[in-house]
Amino acid sequence: MNELEKLKQELKKINAEAVGVKDLPVEKRAEFGRKINTKKAEILAKIAEAEKALLDVDAEPIDVTAWSGTNEAMPEFYPTEFGSKHPLMTELDRVIEIYQMMGFDVMESRQLDDEFHMFDSLNFAKEHPARDGYDTFRTEEGLIPPAHTSTMEHRALKKYKYKLEKGEPIAVVIPGRVYRNEDVDATHEHTFYQCEGMFVSKDCTLGNMLGVLREFFERYYEQKLEIRTQPGYFPFTEPSVELLIEKPKSLGGKKGDWLEMLGCGMTHPNVLKMAGIDPTVYHGFAWGGGIERLVLLKYALGDIRLFESGNLNFLREFN
Amino acid sequence: MKISLNWLKKYVDIKIPDEELVRLIGARLVEVEGVIDETHKYDNIYVVRVESAEKIPDTHLTLCKINVGDIEVKNVPKTDGLVQVMCGAPNVHAGMLAAWIAPGAVVPASVHEDAPFVIGKRTMLKKYDSYGMLAAADELDLGVDHEGIIEIEPSMAKPGEAFADVFELKDKILEIENKSLTHRPDCFGLIGFAREVAGILGQRFDEPIFLTHETVFEAGFLEQTKNSVRKKGTKIKIKIEDAKICPRYTCAQIKIVDPLAKNKYFSMMDTILAKSGMHSISKIVDVTNYLMLLTGQPLHAFDYDKFNKVGGTSEPNVIVRVAKKGEKIELLDGSILECTSDDILITSNNVPVGLAGAMGGANTMIDENTKNVFLEAATFSLFNLRKTQMSHGIFSEAITRFTKGIPAGGTFNVLAEAIKEINGKVIDMNDEWMEDVKSNTVEVSVNEINDLLGTQYDEALIIKTLSNVGFDIKKKGKKLLVIAPYWRTDIHISEDITEEVGRLLGYDNIAPVLPLHLTAERNPAFVLRRRIRELMARYGASEALTYSFVSGRLLEKAGQDVKNSYKIINSISPELQYIRQSIVPSLLDKTYMNEKLPVDKFAIYEMNSIYRKEYGMDTESVPIEKASLGFVIAERKNKDTAFYKAKKYAAKLFEELNIEVDFLPLEGKRAEEKPFEPKRSAEIFINEEYVGVVGEFKNSVKTEFKLAPYVAGFEVDIELLLKYMSQKKTIAFGVKKKEDLTITTNKTYAEALKQVKKDYPDAQILPGVIYQAEGQNDRNITFHIIK
Repeated sequence: MNELEKLKQELKKINAEAVGVKDLPVEKRAEFGRKINTKKAEILAKIAEAEKALLDVDAEPIDVTAWSGTNEAMPEFYPTEFGSKHPLMTELDRVIEIYQMMGFDVMESRQLDDEFHMFDSLNFAKEHPARDGYDTFRTEEGLIPPAHTSTMEHRALKKYKYKLEKGEPIAVVIPGRVYRNEDVDATHEHTFYQCEGMFVSKDCTLGNMLGVLREFFERYYEQKLEIRTQPGYFPFTEPSVELLIEKPKSLGGKKGDWLEMLGCGMTHPNVLKMAGIDPTVYHGFAWGGGIERLVLLKYALGDIRLFESGNLNFLREFN
Repeated sequence: MKISLNWLKKYVDIKIPDEELVRLIGARLVEVEGVIDETHKYDNIYVVRVESAEKIPDTHLTLCKINVGDIEVKNVPKTDGLVQVMCGAPNVHAGMLAAWIAPGAVVPASVHEDAPFVIGKRTMLKKYDSYGMLAAADELDLGVDHEGIIEIEPSMAKPGEAFADVFELKDKILEIENKSLTHRPDCFGLIGFAREVAGILGQRFDEPIFLTHETVFEAGFLEQTKNSVRKKGTKIKIKIEDAKICPRYTCAQIKIVDPLAKNKYFSMMDTILAKSGMHSISKIVDVTNYLMLLTGQPLHAFDYDKFNKVGGTSEPNVIVRVAKKGEKIELLDGSILECTSDDILITSNNVPVGLAGAMGGANTMIDENTKNVFLEAATFSLFNLRKTQMSHGIFSEAITRFTKGIPAGGTFNVLAEAIKEINGKVIDMNDEWMEDVKSNTVEVSVNEINDLLGTQYDEALIIKTLSNVGFDIKKKGKKLLVIAPYWRTDIHISEDITEEVGRLLGYDNIAPVLPLHLTAERNPAFVLRRRIRELMARYGASEALTYSFVSGRLLEKAGQDVKNSYKIINSISPELQYIRQSIVPSLLDKTYMNEKLPVDKFAIYEMNSIYRKEYGMDTESVPIEKASLGFVIAERKNKDTAFYKAKKYAAKLFEELNIEVDFLPLEGKRAEEKPFEPKRSAEIFINEEYVGVVGEFKNSVKTEFKLAPYVAGFEVDIELLLKYMSQKKTIAFGVKKKEDLTITTNKTYAEALKQVKKDYPDAQILPGVIYQAEGQNDRNITFHIIK
């Protein structure tokens, strides 16, 4: 209380002082005004702080070791009907589960990374225009909230390289949250989820890649599916391909409807080399696709912004 | 990028239906975003001859009688075999061939509008019937010109011919997604695109003659030094400061009459510019734009005499250099640009006359007095031009191509073709090619290709496929030596060749085959999170996801130090400027919104990563990441102490994972504890290790977040849950005896419990209600004792 009173007195003094400005020669007024304003701002901040503290002083202590309040009933859990799981996480779980059944290990993607993992280790030339396509955010330190889960490829290769030495392939999927500097609207989010996949062995082929991806989508949609490709460009794969699947019947697909699902390709030799894997001995393939799209399609949702909205009316739909 | 199929078909022999062609292009070259079908866009538009044109006094109108050949249009009368139409264009005159939009036809410019405009019969000035209209380029959607109607060269057509047939307008336009061609500068010209289409169809591409031979220059005019081709005794000096910024600069002085003149007659070139999304400007600009669309090589035309005057020289002294930081140049569009040290400048004797690759300077602009044109075909560093593009926001057709890395091998031939098209007289010509020309040669074996693709293509097929698109192949033992043509700057390693073979022959022809079955390891973090989600759903909590980015204000509201957060320098808005330090503040931010919805009572939680600068860096020199679980409950009407419900949820979580914890008074020093009220919160410990906080929030925090009185939450470290969770669980079977014990005490629950435990060492002790009579200091704490 005293502290606050003192601060308020001080503020009064400054206000009184401020009146003196009219007695000053014109050329000195600006300087004087600036000084007074700085002082005033400091005091106001302190007053706000003190008022906050005053509010907090009112809090009554409780026995935090107890399990109910004095003269209160024991608290109850909310009914199960209130409970819900986030649809993106549920879908991600399902995706991971399918890949696990197909023999893929799971690793998680980071949410703040550096230029090396995001670009250099993926064979992006320094300053190359291809880096622009990713619309990355950056921190003051030059760190990057990754724009794709491929940011984990180098780490995954290093982590599982021992398997190659044992004569086993590297097979891993890496889901995670990624970020792009994009204006948000019904179809664009700056924050979203992807799942990366990698496979490395002595003799894997582009045909194997198509095989794995078709198998995944057939298991995911629980039906036989046609797949199609179109050429793509990613610095970290060569050849690079975009994969399309026939629109599944469960999504109302008709013959001739195609869905673009993900980008993929044979891992560029430089990517393997940088992780200490000899590209003349081993081949690899990799892919990455978004999770939101799977969920939007599944529930015929039209607005991607719902996912990060925290809106319970939406969330409780997924009981 | 837009590609006209009719134009494409001039360079490739295409026998398959358009739909199939589009499918193949999509599958083997580039994503086709859309196909604009213009087959009927020009229906009922005819070439006509204006037989008489009679000016109506005191108006801008002309009464025209037109010869429409054999065309008969319903309800359009002919007098003496001629149709009457009024025209407002100043250039209409007897004897000209024009385009007539007949009554009933849709004006092409309005085809994509909601209500396309259909031409009919009009009566003008109350007495003149007018049937249809004579069209200007803009109405035909073939330009922006509205000053006059288009005039067609008499030798091109006869009255009554369909306009679309004469100008090949029954077309389909492909809309190409540029992004997937980032590495293929050659495909940003129609010829490069056509070469790929030929390759896809399994045909050898016939290179246009002008790309391999030049035919403009008289014999003996040119000489060659190393790579560079120039006029013997040229007076043009070229000095390139650094080969990296400008690998090649080719230029010519051309004498020309009336350079701003528009072509009198509407031409095929006009239609191609229009279909490609550009439009006619003047003779010279049209030629440079057309050749850019055709070859991918941008050109720039300076006024030759101004060029010399600006530099104070009598002959051009071209110096190409990077700009000095802050150096200024006035551009063609009148803007004054302040250069960065990455911009490349074309200078005349060191005075800037153009921002390389982006825009010419105002001081050398062509005008009606221009007598000599100084034409430039050059290539620049894509890295520098990318920076120019970014720092000045210039996104022209030319710079879009330059930033893909235009190959140096084409400048001379494109320049020569431009001279031919402009039809000017070459006075002088110079060329400076700074690099040693060496072709990219890649060694690859048939096995390597098949091993990577999973195919069995034979050598002959591979050789044919590659040579169709300009690769030169030599055999070297079991290997193939593949020599890339100059325009394939993207070919470096054997995998690049594998890609070409796989792509041109179609990835869709590769059989999908599963690799051998494997066994996978479980990732315990995912298993744990799945368990927590099951648990939370069972007990009525909703899982949320919120942004990793928060505002500085949110951190302050939660009492957290913004300096401890990583700050995004290019955030979308101040709302998303910092990386969050804990999860609970994000949930508090959603609590007010949900109470307003209104949801009377709820529990929401989120599991996600958090970062704080205080955590420091890990062994890879990236910030240490922690996984955190934040949880908040809120009710609008409950008057009880919210703390205990939050604690019940926290305790359930630990119980589920078989972790024993202690709840101890809160110190409030850690960032995630800042919003919590120390008098009404507890720190959670596993043995001696701190795992998180549970409690109610400070009054100031509640005020800031506009929270209802009944609100509490917790935040725990998920990695510690993972570390201490166990499968161990003892279940006691058999008949259980239950009795209640009530102790009257002024101690805390925990202290009272300690005493009870001493008395009942083997029993399970559960908490009961706590009662305090009015005016009493002591509380009655009840325990359920189960033996």
